[in-house]
Amino acid sequence: MNQPAFFGLMSWRLLFERLSFLTIVAGLALYALWPWIPGARAIPTRTLVVYGFSILGEVMSEGIFPAFQSEWEMRRGESLQFISSFAGSGTVTNQMILGVPAEVGVLSLELDALRLVKAGVLRGPTWRQLPYAGVLNRTPFIILVRPGNPKGIHGFSDLARPGIGVVHPDPLTSGGANWAIVAEYGAASRHSPDPAQAGYQLLLGIWRNVVAQAASARAARTQFENGFGDALITYEQEAIRDLARGRLRAEIVYPRSTIFSEHTLVVVDKNIAIEQRELVEAFVAFLWSDPAQSIFVKFGYRSMNETLNESNLLFGHIQDPFLIRDFGDWPQAKREIVDAIWKNRVLQEIGQ
Amino acid sequence: MKTRRRRTSRKTTGLLPISFLLLVLLPLLLMPLGAIYIFAARGGLGHFIRTFSQSDAQFALRFSLLIAFATSLVNGVLGTFAAYVLAKYRFPGREALSVVVNLPVAIPTVVVGTSLLLLWGPLGLLGQFLDPMGVQPMFAPFGVFLAHLFVTFPYMLGAVKPVLDELEATYEEAAYTIGASRWQAFRFVILPTLRGGLFSGTLLTFAHSLGEFGATVMVSGNLRLRTQTAPLYIFAQFEAGNIETANAVAAVLATLSFALFFVLLRFTQRRSQRVA
Repeated sequence: MNQPAFFGLMSWRLLFERLSFLTIVAGLALYALWPWIPGARAIPTRTLVVYGFSILGEVMSEGIFPAFQSEWEMRRGESLQFISSFAGSGTVTNQMILGVPAEVGVLSLELDALRLVKAGVLRGPTWRQLPYAGVLNRTPFIILVRPGNPKGIHGFSDLARPGIGVVHPDPLTSGGANWAIVAEYGAASRHSPDPAQAGYQLLLGIWRNVVAQAASARAARTQFENGFGDALITYEQEAIRDLARGRLRAEIVYPRSTIFSEHTLVVVDKNIAIEQRELVEAFVAFLWSDPAQSIFVKFGYRSMNETLNESNLLFGHIQDPFLIRDFGDWPQAKREIVDAIWKNRVLQEIGQ
Repeated sequence: MKTRRRRTSRKTTGLLPISFLLLVLLPLLLMPLGAIYIFAARGGLGHFIRTFSQSDAQFALRFSLLIAFATSLVNGVLGTFAAYVLAKYRFPGREALSVVVNLPVAIPTVVVGTSLLLLWGPLGLLGQFLDPMGVQPMFAPFGVFLAHLFVTFPYMLGAVKPVLDELEATYEEAAYTIGASRWQAFRFVILPTLRGGLFSGTLLTFAHSLGEFGATVMVSGNLRLRTQTAPLYIFAQFEAGNIETANAVAAVLATLSFALFFVLLRFTQRRSQRVA
């Protein structure tokens, strides 16, 4: 409204400023809208929504998705786009319970799949009808230490020594954290005359030393990379691939006795439209095929098909491996180890 | 002329307070801002280009911009309307409503996200009736839009309402006496005075929408290529240890925000000069 006073000397500059501001805004709008402008780019014809636990991000985005996309395009001549999300297994499970449109989910542990059944997301333990009872791949739990292993850590029992800082994912949201607790407990209790007491003692010692807790195994590794702690308990896969690529500066310590985590795939039938059925089934079948399993091996996961594992020379040897079924099953391990010992005794003790 | 006189009347010798302020701000504000660019540049230009050649990074940035444009547009209109009604009309509950519409600033954004989920989610109060009909606003782009509308609502209101409150009713009344309709009075008398408020309100809304995280992370489902906004992308990449990738996008967002607030600052300066 004071416009007239501004005409004269200022007007050209003002005009220039206004024009450049408008150009920038229009440019941003054009950039934002670009893929949706008709004819600007081909829009993929099919989509598939996949949720996965944290460490799966790379193998899926860089290996599995492109491989299946080209296979599907060859078979059907349709381009396919994967819509994906990766976070801690517990987080992913909670999101699925809240109703995210996941068609396929890969969870770190069967316990999370059972939570989906309880919440009515799955109508039953449908994954058990899949190959290997729904276990897509596995990997042992190892200890990652600083280069040169300055603190002389050789097994889980060393992590309980005073003065060691341990980075541990949070069992509330991370599947890896639950595996790690059972690994720690099992390593101490398996050959002990008093298993429960030995397991409790080791868990207490390790958890006194926990200096950082992250929401997922991958986030815990990022904390470790950023300089927190002396040791990280994590999946072997998390370590070997990035160590080999030079992306991670650390050293792996293989405990004498540790657990093999088994990662469960779930197909969320209620989120799958009829016309998506065939695509989902083809994708799930592809995941257990030799080409897909070889991709997992290349990225550091151990295939359920043992012969494929020989191709990855980085896999370390575990003297005394164990599985979750050595403790019954996941619900039992959760009840007797994670809840009864870690949550109700160890955490209480530390909290005091 | 006026501006020159004002400038010289300011103290130019306060070396001590100025250096003290810089010293305090350095670790608090300036160094963290610099770190964004340092880490973004650490991977070199090649890394920068590689990040932006990935479709999910491109999508995240585009999606954030689209949501910000849409949010500014809708809240621009809605916020102005709300400000107009609250400033011009007297009705019971007006005070309470004025407080309530400003609440989104004070509520933690995560809480906004959860409450939207509990309302519109598939198990939510209203969502459970929509779900069987195949309507699912949460975990979809529309859900992100809803969250941003909610979170940024007060900014437009805050920029426009003070102007309306101070605007003398006589101008509007004069317009009526010469036969203007309510719309004409609004369009030709009120709207021109609001231009400044509209402009700064829209920019603030845009900037806040561009950076929104807490509510978005709850309602989006964090789906790459569908609902992942730029801040969510940064968080996911950082958590995954891809620090350079995260910072490349962060640097672009930070630069955009700098530009926005620079424009905003210049604009408000010029207005205050004009008033003086």
